[in-house]
Amino acid sequence: MSQVFHDIEKKIISSLRENPKQSPESLEGSTGLSPDQIRRGIEWLKLKDLAIVNESKASLIRLGGNGLESIEKGLPERRLLDSLKDGPRRLSDLQRQLGSAFGPAMGLARRNSWVRTESDTVSLSNEPAEIPAERIIRQIGRQKIPKEMVSPSELAILLRRPDFVIEETVKTKVISLSDSAGSLEISDSSGAIDVEAGVPRVFVARTHPLKDTIDEVREIFVTLGFSEIIGGMTQPSFWNFDALFTPQDHPARELQDTFYLDGILAKKIAMPEQIRRVSDSHRRNWRYRWDINEARRMVLRTHTTCVTIRHLAETRPDEARVFSLGRVFRNEKVSYKHLVEFNQIEGVVVGKGVTLRDLMGIQREFYKRIGIARIKFWPTFFPYTEPSLQTMVYNERLGSWVELFGMGIFRPEVTRSLGITKPVLAWGGGIERIAMLKYGLDDVREFYNNNLSWLRGVHQDAGS
Amino acid sequence: MPVVELSYSRLRRLVGGSSKKQIADLLPFLGLDVESEDGDLVRVEYSPNRPDYSTDFGIALGMQGLLGIKTGAVRLRVRRSERFHISVKPGVSRIRPFVTGVAAKNGRIDDKTIRQLMAMQEDLHFGLGRRRERSSIGIHDLDKMTFPLTYSTTGRDHRFVPLNSEKELSISQILESTGIGEKYGHILADSPKMPVITDSKNEIISFPPIINAAVTAMTVKTKNLFVEVTGIDRGDAENMLSVVAVILQSAGFTLEQVKISGSKNSTPKLGSREMRLDPALVNQVLGLNLSSSKIISCLKKSRLDASPKGGGSILCVIPPHRFDLFGPMDLVEEAALGYGIQNLKPVLSPSQAIGQASPVSRNLRYLSQVMVGLGYLEVLNSSLTSKRVLYNMTNRGEASKTISVREPKSQEHAILRDSILPGLLENLSRNIHEPYPQKIFETGSVFLEGSSIKEGINLSGVSAHQDANFTETKSVLQSGLKIGFGLKVQTRATTHPAFEGGRCASVLADGRSIGVVGEISSRTVEGYKIRVPVAGFEISLSDSILKPA
Repeated sequence: MSQVFHDIEKKIISSLRENPKQSPESLEGSTGLSPDQIRRGIEWLKLKDLAIVNESKASLIRLGGNGLESIEKGLPERRLLDSLKDGPRRLSDLQRQLGSAFGPAMGLARRNSWVRTESDTVSLSNEPAEIPAERIIRQIGRQKIPKEMVSPSELAILLRRPDFVIEETVKTKVISLSDSAGSLEISDSSGAIDVEAGVPRVFVARTHPLKDTIDEVREIFVTLGFSEIIGGMTQPSFWNFDALFTPQDHPARELQDTFYLDGILAKKIAMPEQIRRVSDSHRRNWRYRWDINEARRMVLRTHTTCVTIRHLAETRPDEARVFSLGRVFRNEKVSYKHLVEFNQIEGVVVGKGVTLRDLMGIQREFYKRIGIARIKFWPTFFPYTEPSLQTMVYNERLGSWVELFGMGIFRPEVTRSLGITKPVLAWGGGIERIAMLKYGLDDVREFYNNNLSWLRGVHQDAGS
Repeated sequence: MPVVELSYSRLRRLVGGSSKKQIADLLPFLGLDVESEDGDLVRVEYSPNRPDYSTDFGIALGMQGLLGIKTGAVRLRVRRSERFHISVKPGVSRIRPFVTGVAAKNGRIDDKTIRQLMAMQEDLHFGLGRRRERSSIGIHDLDKMTFPLTYSTTGRDHRFVPLNSEKELSISQILESTGIGEKYGHILADSPKMPVITDSKNEIISFPPIINAAVTAMTVKTKNLFVEVTGIDRGDAENMLSVVAVILQSAGFTLEQVKISGSKNSTPKLGSREMRLDPALVNQVLGLNLSSSKIISCLKKSRLDASPKGGGSILCVIPPHRFDLFGPMDLVEEAALGYGIQNLKPVLSPSQAIGQASPVSRNLRYLSQVMVGLGYLEVLNSSLTSKRVLYNMTNRGEASKTISVREPKSQEHAILRDSILPGLLENLSRNIHEPYPQKIFETGSVFLEGSSIKEGINLSGVSAHQDANFTETKSVLQSGLKIGFGLKVQTRATTHPAFEGGRCASVLADGRSIGVVGEISSRTVEGYKIRVPVAGFEISLSDSILKPA
């Protein structure tokens, strides 16, 4: 088997083939690599089961400061004896010559009867050929050697003297190749690296997952022949409610559901003829006193339907396929299923012969393209459409049906007042719900938490 | 949407001859959304246009129709009678002008029925009655009062024992010291005279729209009921009465007329309406080809009466509680429900229309791609934000005209943003444990108040890491706009409260300022507990690349 290795690994392997057991330090010498490169190389080889690392503890000894001084100048007692070779000396002379070493040297020489003292004169009596400590100091020299290599009794003598010898415990590593490394062929195709090794993580800059879903929804409707229109997020109540046949005392218009802009009234809301006909329809059908000032109050749009109805009232087309897409607002308590601000798409088909079944067909096609196969339709109620339906889609992950887009045909009370003569098929709904299915989320707030670990980690179709 | 609690076993008994599964499967096709289910109990949401679905009695009528057990309209049978009479005095015309009513006799009510009736009353008060302002109901024990009754006004010191009270209270006390009085007292405003219904012994039985008297309270022993509805519109009041009447009749009561006279009031008719329907409209709207007789049978399943009429049209008879039906289009929906929505097959008709996205969307999408190419991650924040995020944290002074919304449920969503950058800094502060560098951007709407509200679209980006600085950010902005849109921008020294002095510049396009770029001030960065330098920019796209040609 031929395997690709890093240069570091190659050098270590070939050095170990020549010299099978080595310490990291000796590998440094034999390969010319830095300690860090050796450390990394050994780790890599260990992970591949190619190197074996045996660790052991050892006691080493080396000379301390006084010991090293003795190599050069000789031990203090030897210096004392040497200075007596030419005849007896006075105590005070010797004291001056040997300094602080004089006391211990003199004590040792007297105890061993190497010298004699008469009044203040010292003379040589019996000079020894070798002093016991001299041999071990020579043996250690300037190296670190294992403790076992010296005579324990000699070491004990040296250990009694200050700073002559230092004992230390060290861990040693012995590196060798494993059996499987023996049969290894090292490929030397130049520049090859270990392509299987782990690499650092980088973060991908990307568009927001919800934006991706919004773009996907937009693209599907464009493909189905719909053109996008845009309109303001702030709207007079007239277009958000009145034009859509929602009476002025309807609960949906209360402060607790709808965001009204504080102290802002629209100056011009619509053409006088539109206002007259809409208010007539309200008076006639809902029987109350319609108030234009209520219609002037500015709201944050509660649906994008206000954008399409304004467009239809302006253009009064015989045929049209348009949609609008954007943020809508509800004065809700934020929870895992409710946001105060979310995205909605709303589309319409205007045409002479368009039917409820066409509307259902467009829905089915849309869901198919976004990847939702199981859908069904249930009746529902909206103030401005009749008949009204809602789509239920099957959430495979939760095993339950989820409500998605609402739809219907604009009521004659809506279209007639605005001079729209052809039937209008309309549908709309929140995009976050579709995105939740796509990304497998149970908490809609995640889209707006801007939690970088989620944004950096979530992948398309995480929900499937 | 209002919610009603149902019991499957009770419904099965009321519908007659149906299984639990049949009933459960049918709920959605009456427009009822199951909210929760617990054994025999199921809570469903119903549409506010169907107040008759506020009780299981009304829902059972609808189910009988769809199942074919009983079809056609439920006719109200109100026995003519001279025994019950309400005379209306002129004083009420200024405060709550109309009263109507019906007697319901020889019924049996158990605990569950009482609960259904109370829930129905609540829902009718809330929806149709607009929190009792437009109309409100009182249901009484008929045998605890003596006729004739009088609907008139009285002073605020008039005393009686209200429902759920042990002792006599004056009307003022009820309005000021009871929960219900405080909640609904505003409807009567500051009128010195209060509307009351009194019986022939001059005993108050009802103080609409606030509370009934304790003396006429219904119990499980009650056999005969008296229902009164008061309000500011006669049609509304009669509509509400018709819902209660059809429910009580379905609950087994025999209805008897209550005569009403005086001050523009009259005895309720509770009669059916007629409406013509062209079968061609049904087929045209639904995309079907049904015969007249098939349409008639569909309408009957929706509990309406229908019969063929001359000229191929259909004559529909609509019971009074179906006042939600305004015109023929509503009948089309009733026919569709009778036909069964599940039987309507979707069809994709060919279209020659060519669609396109708006130029604004296309440009914003392109801009996002450019920013992503420059290494920035896209984030999304709400347009509704708080003063803390928008002004305090960035040391920006409050704009002279902040656009705020009324009565927000959370102070985190109380004002419309005029700038995107503060939100991005807030995002960084919530991600200080995530690996750096962090580079994020957002495009979105901002709101400025002038003579009217001006909505604009801005782009903002921030970069946070050890070496983030002015030069890096200016490079990104300049290169992005140049490569993306051929827009050349220059910078000129300026100051901005969120940015570091001497490290901040206006962004100029064609000599006009479109935004700001620079290093975020250390004060702001520290305020957000961000531990690395931050540089950023914000520009108006509406004034630059999205400017209408």
